[in-house]
Amino acid sequence: MERIVGSRLSVGLSVTAVVAVIVVVLSSSTRLAVALALGVAVLGVGATFVSLTAVRRDHPVATRALISVIVIDLAIFLTFRVSATSNSNVAIGAAMAIVLLGLSFLTGSSGQISLGNGAFMGVGAFTVGIWAEHHPTTPLVAVLVLATLAGALVGLVLGIPATRLRGPYLAGMTLAFAVAFGAILNMFSSWTGGDSGLQLPTAVVAPHWLASFFGPTASSLTTSSAWLADISIVVTGVALFLMANLFASRIGRAMRLVRDNDVAAELVGVSLPRARVIAFTVSAAYAALGGALWTLINNSVSPSTYSFVLSITILSLVVIGGIGTIPGAIMGGIIYAFSTGAISWLTAHLGLNPQGNVASQLDGIIFGGLLVITILFAPLGIAGLVRHGWRWWRRARPTGIVQ
Amino acid sequence: MTSLSPLLTLESVSVRFGGLQALRDVSFDVSTGEIVGLIGPNGAGKTTAFNVACGFVRPTSGRVLLPAVGVTNPRATQLARAGVARTLQGVGLFPHATVLENVMAGGHIRPGGGFVGGLLGLPHAQRAERRLRHDAVAMLERLGVASFASSLPGAIPYGVAKKVSVARALMCDPSLLLLDEPASGLDEAELSDFASLIRNLRATMGVLLVEHNMEFVMPLVDRLVVLDFGQVIASGTPAEVRVHEAVIAAYLGVSE
Repeated sequence: MERIVGSRLSVGLSVTAVVAVIVVVLSSSTRLAVALALGVAVLGVGATFVSLTAVRRDHPVATRALISVIVIDLAIFLTFRVSATSNSNVAIGAAMAIVLLGLSFLTGSSGQISLGNGAFMGVGAFTVGIWAEHHPTTPLVAVLVLATLAGALVGLVLGIPATRLRGPYLAGMTLAFAVAFGAILNMFSSWTGGDSGLQLPTAVVAPHWLASFFGPTASSLTTSSAWLADISIVVTGVALFLMANLFASRIGRAMRLVRDNDVAAELVGVSLPRARVIAFTVSAAYAALGGALWTLINNSVSPSTYSFVLSITILSLVVIGGIGTIPGAIMGGIIYAFSTGAISWLTAHLGLNPQGNVASQLDGIIFGGLLVITILFAPLGIAGLVRHGWRWWRRARPTGIVQ
Repeated sequence: MTSLSPLLTLESVSVRFGGLQALRDVSFDVSTGEIVGLIGPNGAGKTTAFNVACGFVRPTSGRVLLPAVGVTNPRATQLARAGVARTLQGVGLFPHATVLENVMAGGHIRPGGGFVGGLLGLPHAQRAERRLRHDAVAMLERLGVASFASSLPGAIPYGVAKKVSVARALMCDPSLLLLDEPASGLDEAELSDFASLIRNLRATMGVLLVEHNMEFVMPLVDRLVVLDFGQVIASGTPAEVRVHEAVIAAYLGVSE
């Protein structure tokens, strides 16, 4: 049954891919079309590959890598099509998805709650800012790795005492870190720039070959925002691939075991403190990576961005998307990407003063409201709703055939 | 029996919870190839003795020894590596993991489960996972419950869940198996099935079990240790214990 459905799906997707390629080749010959053709072809081949359950079971890592490549490819293709504003929203949202992946791993897998991931984002963001002041020519990848490691280090240092804390006590400790983070930044204001934050000495500029995709009339804003979105998407794809591996690995399984039944987990040899430190460190590292991307995207870093409110927003997004699931984290990132536009639209249409009190709190109000609705009506978030719908559909279908 | 070196030794173990003396000077051991039953009336200290043996409760005085691996007073997380597996009262399975994942969890301490290997999906970690999955399926087949591999523990019959918990315990290749009330909640047919399963395990390991159900225990075990009010009041073969005066008094409440 499953194989039939799978092969039908893959045949369908492959045919779609081939048709799309032919249409594109016939209609125009720009490089953009080549990109589209490549993307869709990869999608078709990938879908054929992925739908074979045996392949998926025997080569899970290769399958995950392929899915990541397809997702990256499609998302990058989209960045050539949308406006500069949309691209910067995509970039911001993709980076947020990384943060959500980390918190999803911590909360969903090991059952811990962190209210400090906004501050961990800040660690990554300021690492990039401070490093760029002194070494402006460091390659992008190196800067991102450095920021991730900085986040992991801070996470590790805070995570070791956290191994003895559980539930509300751990949440309390991370809350304290989130609240103290602003004061910590102020203490080192000679490095962090105090209240005004830091400006990157050189903005990230799109390479020439990318600009040629858009033609000679495109503004530098268009190309650079597309480039930033692409960077963000690629990094998110890699983070997604690694997190999917981790979820499926023995470490990931150990995390879920601890959450399910910690006594039984100890009996099979899982060290609870070690599992908690790993989960906490991974989540901090992912948050820092997201924050580092934000600094690159905004070309600056300001302490007010990484206030306690951000930590609450992150937690809300994880719950709304679906806690403990990878699709849920991606969903949360997409919601966040759209929220900026939605909030400014609301501000305009409700006739609020953009500089006023209500407008500045509007995102908190909206995410808080969504959070309450999610917890009341769909505790497993959007990912949980989709999964329920899918199960319901599969169960309902055979009776339909009988009738 | 004395020629065999014991796998587990309790040396005059006493446990005190505040004002309550739960165990007083309890000594016994378990060797390879024997099934030892720990019995006694309610509140006699069976569960405490069991929990001391597997490191959940630290002895107030006395020692717990695992002579084969040279560990004294082991902690719960050390047990699997020391070749000791235990089942929990009820079934103690992971409710949100499938039966197969539950059994795979039993092999957690096997090599190839490192962080970097898992994160990057390196080939050696992949191979280790495939082998673990293969062995877990084989273990389920051995216990005759492989058809439930993809079910969740909440959706399978109780007798099957009990077998799954044994399968999980056996995944770390234990030399000593601790069974906490293996008979509870099983019907007649499942009981005889379970008894023959435990008897088969005796070939390669020692078994210590805590049990209420005398009809299950008596024909199964090689030796019994009888506890009452936290003390060992008798030990020996089932035939010896059955006629022991102190045991009859403890169980029936008759003294003269």
